[in-house]
Amino acid sequence: MKFIISLALKNLSRYRRRTLITAFAIAIGLMMFIVVDSVLIGVEAESMRNLRWYETSSARIMHEEYWEERLLKPLDISVEQPYEIISSLEQIGIPAAPRTTFAADMILYSDDFGEDGNMSVQVTAVDPDLDNTVFRFEETLIEGRFAEAGANELVIGSWFAEDIGAELGYWVTFVTRGRGGFYEAMDMQIVGIVNCPNPNVNRTLLMIPIDVADEYLGMEGTVTEINMAIPERSDISKEVARIAEMLDDSSQRVKVARWDELAQDYVALAETKRGGTSMILFMVFLIAAVGISNTMLMAIYERIRELGMMRALGMSDRAIQLSFMIEAGGIGLIGSITGVLLGVLGNIYMVNVGVDLGFLMRDLDMGYRIQSVMRGAWSPATLVVAFLFGTLLSMLVAYIPTRRALKMDIPSCLRHQ
Amino acid sequence: MKFLMLLAVKNLSRYRRRTLITATVIGVGLMLFLMIDSLLVGIDRESVRNLKQYETASLKVMHTEYWEDRILMPLDVSVPQPYDRVTELHDAGYRATPRTRFSADLILYSEDFGEDGNIPVQVTAIDTALDSTVFDLEQTLMTGRYPEMGSNEMVIGSWMAEDINAEVGYWVTLVTRGNGGFFEAMDMKIVGIVNCPNPNVNRSLLLVPIDTISDYLAMEGLATEIAIALPDSADISHEKELIGTLMAASGAPLTVLSWDEMASDYIAMIEAETGSSSVILFLVFLIAAVGISNTMIMAINERVRELGMMRALGMSDRQIHLLFILESAGIGLLGSLVGTAAGILANLYLVHYGIDFGFLMREMDLGYRIQSIFRGTWHVRGILTTFTMGILLSVIVSWFPTRRATKQDIPSCLRHQ
Amino acid sequence: MIQVQDVVRNYHAGETVVRALKGVSLEIADGEFISIAGPSGSGKTTLLNLIGCIDALDGGEITIDGTRVSQMDKRAKTEFRRHNLGFIFQTYNLIPVLTAYENVSFVLSILSLPEKEIEERTMRILREVGLEGMEHRRPDRLSGGQQQRIAIARALVKNPKIVLADEPTANLDSKTGEEILKLMKQMNEKYHTTFIFSTHDTMVMEYARRLVSLHDGQIESDERR
Repeated sequence: MKFIISLALKNLSRYRRRTLITAFAIAIGLMMFIVVDSVLIGVEAESMRNLRWYETSSARIMHEEYWEERLLKPLDISVEQPYEIISSLEQIGIPAAPRTTFAADMILYSDDFGEDGNMSVQVTAVDPDLDNTVFRFEETLIEGRFAEAGANELVIGSWFAEDIGAELGYWVTFVTRGRGGFYEAMDMQIVGIVNCPNPNVNRTLLMIPIDVADEYLGMEGTVTEINMAIPERSDISKEVARIAEMLDDSSQRVKVARWDELAQDYVALAETKRGGTSMILFMVFLIAAVGISNTMLMAIYERIRELGMMRALGMSDRAIQLSFMIEAGGIGLIGSITGVLLGVLGNIYMVNVGVDLGFLMRDLDMGYRIQSVMRGAWSPATLVVAFLFGTLLSMLVAYIPTRRALKMDIPSCLRHQ
Repeated sequence: MKFLMLLAVKNLSRYRRRTLITATVIGVGLMLFLMIDSLLVGIDRESVRNLKQYETASLKVMHTEYWEDRILMPLDVSVPQPYDRVTELHDAGYRATPRTRFSADLILYSEDFGEDGNIPVQVTAIDTALDSTVFDLEQTLMTGRYPEMGSNEMVIGSWMAEDINAEVGYWVTLVTRGNGGFFEAMDMKIVGIVNCPNPNVNRSLLLVPIDTISDYLAMEGLATEIAIALPDSADISHEKELIGTLMAASGAPLTVLSWDEMASDYIAMIEAETGSSSVILFLVFLIAAVGISNTMIMAINERVRELGMMRALGMSDRQIHLLFILESAGIGLLGSLVGTAAGILANLYLVHYGIDFGFLMREMDLGYRIQSIFRGTWHVRGILTTFTMGILLSVIVSWFPTRRATKQDIPSCLRHQ
Repeated sequence: MIQVQDVVRNYHAGETVVRALKGVSLEIADGEFISIAGPSGSGKTTLLNLIGCIDALDGGEITIDGTRVSQMDKRAKTEFRRHNLGFIFQTYNLIPVLTAYENVSFVLSILSLPEKEIEERTMRILREVGLEGMEHRRPDRLSGGQQQRIAIARALVKNPKIVLADEPTANLDSKTGEEILKLMKQMNEKYHTTFIFSTHDTMVMEYARRLVSLHDGQIESDERR
């Protein structure tokens, strides 16, 4: 066995150029696979983080019927006694924060904005103390400060501010129908601007204190949702089951939704994009198949007499088969190692520097929750897959040409030109 | 030259199996390229068609300041005396129609919808007679009919209808702020539902008669835009200039915008997607590189003595190099034929059946203006590229490896075993 | 007329230097049927290759009909060979995918002659070497002797000044070998083409009218008969 391996390796150095060409092509293909996969993983990881830190939280409690009617943003299908639920959640170790979201008409005045105007918006009312235990807006403040409880103050996303020309100190009016169905007008002053990494949020965020909303909208202490933070490494389904169990006891008809149920659109998109990497892998397979089988054919053809001699001297077919497969595996190995190395280099760049697609993301909703830079992520599993794929595939591909060579009878081999 | 071609062809049949394997693999790669190209071009064509037929028309005339503030949907920067402009355009031979877009609150009542609710919407007020000369919406009516001028009737998109559970005959109220700043409530009855192939439109469309709106808002002859349809063959930038001049003659501050300026989000996205077909082509290049260079190196090694003889008899190095390039081109040609033929077959499926992405498009705005089925198209340039690439890539890839055919000195070649 | 003057040729095999030709001088007149003989390693193939312009020398000069072929660059040599030289090898070296006809005609094709002339001359020479009727056969369906006839036809079809034959009978049985030699003699007498053989086959040496013996890279003897 040792002899076979040594023979195989020595033979590889016999036709160095061919080996290198084939190995190099496999390497390039594998590198592309690694980098693309890395970017997709990185982009998905960041999107998930940005969804959970700024948009959906990890899981959300809502009234059972709220989800179907979510388009209408009904205020009468709400969660009662939210603070009781929140303290129960804290007792089982889950930070929670209440929020009420509602649709409104936002009216801008020419004194501040240069001209009058109005537009439909979505307003998020938050508990200034608890919100930061679940969401991470605190780190995103770029101007001003957060709104204080009880004050008619407003924080706005920076892209939104840019789009409408808003600045600190400006006043706007929200006109909306409250819980009872009657219209209310709320005058709010912009006291802070956040630059949120989640573009969907940054484009639309309007945050006001929840007690102000409760008063104007007549919510009577109810809220439309309770958001919860679950650590990334925890098993979400388990935690959600725990929470659901705890909620079962309460008298309300509420349900818990996970972040990926809340962001179904995003999840569907990410899965579709993943299909693309499979195509790349398939083409890498083609490259390897062609390269290796050709190289092996060449090798066998050139060495038919030598093969005949080894067989005449008593070496078994199986041993010869093995020797060639190891040779092919050797080419694949060189290609895999090179490919993984190149992939790692490419990945270092993608993870640390990344690709700036800000110009695209600013105006376009690409589905991914990324503001500007698409970064890669380290996935050891992908590196292993790439490595094995290159090596094992090469060995398999060598099997058939070798079998054909062994079918020829020994004298013909020896006579071969 | 003729002799070289004859020899090249005969040599290809010498190692039939290798030639066929290499050609087939190149062909598969080319087929994938053709399919991706077909899909990309197909969905671009359909999206552009749906943009022009249902959303942006070919051109729109607006008040110079309207476009910057479009997020606010202001009513005070509208087109003055729109029907005069429309007449001027008709006289110049253009199909034109006035439209008013405004934001409003849509109020639903429990009698019809099961429960009360309200959502912010964007309404489009049209001239029901002229609109169909520019847009094709009327032809997409699923149930009911178009509203009559002067009536309180409304048509909505089918996805909007699904989302709010609306049916023909239901009543809703539109509440909006008129030009003077006061609120107006308009009771409208749904008389028709369209199933518009443009998902962005189908998700949000609310059509009402333009004269009804001007009455309610006390804005005589109001229109925020004039939409113009041009035939497919028209030179858009040229017409844009002509119309611009025509509108300037009226003295009003008007701008003309073309569909691609209005749909810049779509344009940005489609340009990004087009890069992917180049990636495939690069992978095909790698396949060809490996397959062909290996085949050629093999061939050269097998024919060392023969080549030495040809050179001894006076064939120049250039001619021998050309011989091998022709053989590579031959393999490439076979690959092109296989790839183009297989690609065309696959394309038949893509063109007639397509791929159903409805599950993605229903909930998300991905930029594509396609409701569900992404179809391929017969893109002649793509098919020609597929065909020529097979040959071209093979020739490029074989250039350096085949130069080695004349490296060794003649006597050594002749002595070769 | 071929003039070989003080020709030196060395080979470098790793660290050792092999001196294949150590200063060989020779004159060959037009139409000669000459054989260069000697044991292996004597340098006869090397000398043939140098005269045949497929190798480059390290010292001395070779002139053919007044042209200093040894000084020519690679491209000029290729052209010279194309127009003036024919080769016959021990292992025939035919192109296996081409027919007998095509193997011969290709030599004229690279001279860019008109189609009709190519056809005429090819058919004529094939007849002369006794291969009439075999034009469309490929080498793998012909005997060794027939294959060598094709090679001879190929060498002669362009009416070269010189034909260089390296061990042309070595792969043939004695009877066939003799037939081939007779054929070449006929061609030499008919066309006055100079035939230079490199050989250690005694039968060839007998047919030759001049015998040059090489030993260890130098001329030992030069007999005329």
